[in-house]
Amino acid sequence: MTSGTQIAPTPIPPIAPRISGRRRLHKLGWNVLGVIVLVVMVFPVYWMVATAFKPGQKILSYTPQWIPTSPTLSNFRDAVHQPFFWDAVKNSVIVVTVVVALSVVLAFLAALALAKFRFYGRKAFIVLILGVQMVPLAALIIPLYILMSRLHQVDKLTGVIAMYLTFVLPFTVWTMRGFLLGIPKDLEEAAMVDGATRFGAFVRILLPLVGPGLVATSIFAFIQAWNEFIIAYVFLHTPQKQTLMVWLASFTTLRGTDWGPLMAGATLCALPVVVFFLLVQRRIAFGLTAGAVRG
Amino acid sequence: MAQIELVHLSKVYGGDVTAVRDLNLEVAEGEFVVLVGPSGCGKTTALRMIAGLEEISSGEIRIGGKVVNDLAPRDRDIAMVFQTYALYPHKTVYDNLAFGLRMRKVPKEEQKRRVEEIARVLGLGDMLQRRPAQLSGGQRQRVAMGRAIVREPKAFLMDEPLSNLDAKLRVQMRAEIARIQQALKVTTVYVTHDQVEAMTMGNRVAVMRDGKLQQVDTPQRLYDAPVNLFVASFVGSPPMNLFEAGLESDDGKLVCRIGDTDLELPSDLAAERPSLANYAGRRVAVGIRPEDVREAAGWDGTRLRGRILLVESLGSEQLVHIEITATPLERSDLVDIAAQPPGPSLGVDDSERSVTLLGRFDRHLLLAPGEAVEVAIDPRLLHFFDLETGAAISRVDVPVATPVAG
Repeated sequence: MTSGTQIAPTPIPPIAPRISGRRRLHKLGWNVLGVIVLVVMVFPVYWMVATAFKPGQKILSYTPQWIPTSPTLSNFRDAVHQPFFWDAVKNSVIVVTVVVALSVVLAFLAALALAKFRFYGRKAFIVLILGVQMVPLAALIIPLYILMSRLHQVDKLTGVIAMYLTFVLPFTVWTMRGFLLGIPKDLEEAAMVDGATRFGAFVRILLPLVGPGLVATSIFAFIQAWNEFIIAYVFLHTPQKQTLMVWLASFTTLRGTDWGPLMAGATLCALPVVVFFLLVQRRIAFGLTAGAVRG
Repeated sequence: MAQIELVHLSKVYGGDVTAVRDLNLEVAEGEFVVLVGPSGCGKTTALRMIAGLEEISSGEIRIGGKVVNDLAPRDRDIAMVFQTYALYPHKTVYDNLAFGLRMRKVPKEEQKRRVEEIARVLGLGDMLQRRPAQLSGGQRQRVAMGRAIVREPKAFLMDEPLSNLDAKLRVQMRAEIARIQQALKVTTVYVTHDQVEAMTMGNRVAVMRDGKLQQVDTPQRLYDAPVNLFVASFVGSPPMNLFEAGLESDDGKLVCRIGDTDLELPSDLAAERPSLANYAGRRVAVGIRPEDVREAAGWDGTRLRGRILLVESLGSEQLVHIEITATPLERSDLVDIAAQPPGPSLGVDDSERSVTLLGRFDRHLLLAPGEAVEVAIDPRLLHFFDLETGAAISRVDVPVATPVAG
């Protein structure tokens, strides 16, 4: 396709402009496509944020208002004063913190075992981890509900945390294993000869090197736990125990949907993810590829 | 500093793959011993067992007289240089060098003093704050060396530390490592597959093959008196010429028949190797070093006629491939196959068995491929080997095997 890559050492003047023109056109095409994709991706987010700042009567007007002309914070005020908002914030923070912390620690240790030790059933375990990912959530939710209710974990944050871990761990273990495999065995051995214990070599050499992997997996766990809706919705009945995503659903009632505060609430919910991502994005870009090269 | 003893050391993987078989080796205090052999001969496994990175299947390892079989690597007080250098990529050169000291709880000021001293000696002084990724191959190699030296361990273990360097740097670092080892007088076990490295660096060289120790000796003795065909073919570059010959007894004199030429063995040679007489009437393997193959001008002994196949000029000398009539050695299981020169050239009559003889000739000789040439072979410079076992038919003053720790 790219006829622009010429091997000839001296470009022949009459042909050169035609080629570069075609190449420019080619480039333009890709750029236009890129912009279209960007707009499609960004627009809903923009619309959410824009709507959050619009006063009530302008939200559902027949002529769409692209830019809020008289921005207002009243939607945010309404959202924050909605019942159980702060309960939901607290619950979400608890769930996310515990899920991220536990999944990173467990995934690191499990991946360590899978990457560094040979044991019976290791291959089967690795395949199983992938296999679990294939089962759709909808098929699992009823059996899991029954299981959790037997364990008296329905309508409890611990139950939801356990559920989230079961879904987050396979991916994080798999990813971490890739990162650990990428670290040469020699480094650990050098540390052990240099005077470190096996555990010391893990902590001082492996752990810092696998940092990008930890960041990548923690982002994944964070997004999963923060944005998850179905499990939380099914398992958490009491309003005081609901997470933010379930709380957002409370704007849609039998009487209709209160769009302004809903969009304001959604904007508020999206903020932590964006902030977290901005904080660690410099490392994740490197991290995701670093793990991918040797998987 | 300490001596290292390997006693009946074996390593078996998974119950059936034997990597090291009954290895006995004693490395004296301050000695530089090189373990050498083709890849897969068990040399690295042996080194890793000394380091404690590989479990010992049977046998014993003693460092400084103390059995270390069950000691963790950290408790053996040895330092290792890895083939990949294994520098910690997230630490600066300073921290890489100081890591072992930190692990051993050496006081901070002492750490600083020692690291800076080593860095100065190795010419790494202004790179202490860099990370390994910012260093060249040679500099990384130095850091790896420095990390071993700075600890002042009982012994150095080096696993092919030069194999990742380019040829020029390798020669330079080879001398540098040997110099450092001589200055520090630290017991060193060095693993390599490169016999030139082995010969130039070691006080003694241990040649291994298929997990078995073949011969331990000084480089010169290894070269002059290889105990078997394998060592003969492995040591030396270019390798020793090996072919088959018949030994005949003729009026009490031994005659070596190479192709259709009879080479009379002088009586003093026969006296030196009394067991040679037992081989009269049998076939033996005969070896001669390339530098002992000479152009026949001025030689009044028996000459071998040959044809020049190829002349390789090395500047200081020329390497000449000469085709002679002789029986090629067919026991390829007894020699280092990688070191063997190519077989007979095309167009040679099948009934006539031919062997390519490698000769190191003076660079001023005018030789061209295709020319006929006569070579002189001094029977005193020949090496004789048993064709069945590959063992050298040795001189009386050479012990069949070097005594090892038992």
